Amino acid sequence: MQITERRIGQSIILDLTGELSYANRTTFKAAVERSKHSGCRHLILNMQGVRFLDSSALGTLALLAQSFPATQGMVSLLNPQSYVKEIITLANLHQILPVYTSEQDALAGSRLPAAG
Amino acid sequence: MAEPAHRIEDEPLAGKAAKPTPVILLVDDDEMTRISMAGRLKRLGYRVIEAGDGVAGLAAVRAQRPDLVILDWMMPGLDGPSVCEAIRADGELRSSQVVLMTAHDQPGQIAEGLSRGADDFLSKAASKQEVLARVQASLRSSALVREIERTRDDLDRSHRLLSAKQAELESELQSAAEFVRAQLPLPGMPAPGIGMQWAYQPSLALGGDLFQVGAWGSETLGLYILDASGHGVAAALRAVALMSFLREENLAKAVGSFDPGAIITEANRRFPLTQDGEYFTLWVGRLHLPSQTVSYAAAGHCGAFLHSLQGASQWLSSASLPLGFDPTITFDSATAQLRPRDRLYLLSDGIYEAPSPTGELWGRERLQATLESHRNHTLAHSIGDTMTTARQWLGGDIFPDDVALLGVEVLDSSGPAKEKS
Repeated sequence: MQITERRIGQSIILDLTGELSYANRTTFKAAVERSKHSGCRHLILNMQGVRFLDSSALGTLALLAQSFPATQGMVSLLNPQSYVKEIITLANLHQILPVYTSEQDALAGSRLPAAG
Repeated sequence: MAEPAHRIEDEPLAGKAAKPTPVILLVDDDEMTRISMAGRLKRLGYRVIEAGDGVAGLAAVRAQRPDLVILDWMMPGLDGPSVCEAIRADGELRSSQVVLMTAHDQPGQIAEGLSRGADDFLSKAASKQEVLARVQASLRSSALVREIERTRDDLDRSHRLLSAKQAELESELQSAAEFVRAQLPLPGMPAPGIGMQWAYQPSLALGGDLFQVGAWGSETLGLYILDASGHGVAAALRAVALMSFLREENLAKAVGSFDPGAIITEANRRFPLTQDGEYFTLWVGRLHLPSQTVSYAAAGHCGAFLHSLQGASQWLSSASLPLGFDPTITFDSATAQLRPRDRLYLLSDGIYEAPSPTGELWGRERLQATLESHRNHTLAHSIGDTMTTARQWLGGDIFPDDVALLGVEVLDSSGPAKEKS
């Protein structure tokens, strides 16, 4: 998994590429922790390049949803594709993590969930 | 020949009392030569063992394991090269450091000696400096060989220890796996008029996917399948904990009802996300036997597939959060009607997420099509063949995730479905 960090105002976008799974959850968690400690108010996980999400990663995202607001602000998902989108939908993850289809909407911090 | 009196300056071991004195075995039938060489070696600070012929020399090598063996070439009976060969042929001794001693070191003789197992040569006429240099060089080699042997022995011991530990752990894992498997229902008829079969293949010895079918009250059959995230021992232990919660007597006490929505709502409250983000997905159904109505609810679980012969087949699941993702929510039950010969399959996502060698997932559509293709086969055949088809898609026998496939069928009055001829 490759993770690139972009800071835009008080938001941080983590562009994720590859598989988000048990095997690389340490890397993912470390990137999230770095973002948290850098004082960002809105962490946006760009899922566009994520082709696989396993159950462990789903739990990590849920944990993030539970823990992030308490300390900082909000965390949201951007543009999950095909299989990953299906998994997120099946697990109703958008109920606890806002999902956006455009970076502009995500940055605007709209709480409106993405269509579909 | 007596050595000069200045042996202290050349003493190789002077000031190194901490190291054990190297032991040199000197084998020579000529007593005068042996006494002279032994004296030189002793004055150089070595401990010397002497043997008067090849046979005694070989016995001393076995008994004393000296750091260095100096062998005279010409000896009655077993000569030097023959002793060399005997040492090299013995697994216990073959790493011994051996120097052949000759009166005439001709090239042909040296070649023969080396080919028969000697490590070096020493002329009987060698100077004190040469004797010292050759002995020191041979002892350095000997020390290295001994160190390698010690390391090898340490590794062997560690390997044996690890193997024993591994065997112990595997045995414990096996016991745990047997315990988990013993929690699963016995195939057959869990209630009058209901048939049940299943296949279960954890990705490791212990799985985090478990299921059960059993009586919940006098007229209802409870069914569930759960999936603990993660694999191995931790997932299996957590799965068994949730299984205990789902026991009939516990549900009556803890939930006060066998309504699937109420059961999952309570489980959602009691099983929060762990600190590592581990959680459960769960599908619970309750089959009312007189009406053959199934009510069900799911928490993030891919759920169950109702294969109906007369009505519409459907997936009995809907988007829902896994257990513990939001402890405040409630889960509602939905219902479906079963008819004679209908089949209800409970399955883990591991089966339809089986990847092909190119990475393409098998998918729910292919799984559904496979199950439906067995409408005229027995339930056992349907389950067995569906597992086989999934393995064929996978291109192997080991699924990356736990795989469970449980089928329950409503038997018609004529008994279980007959195999298509």
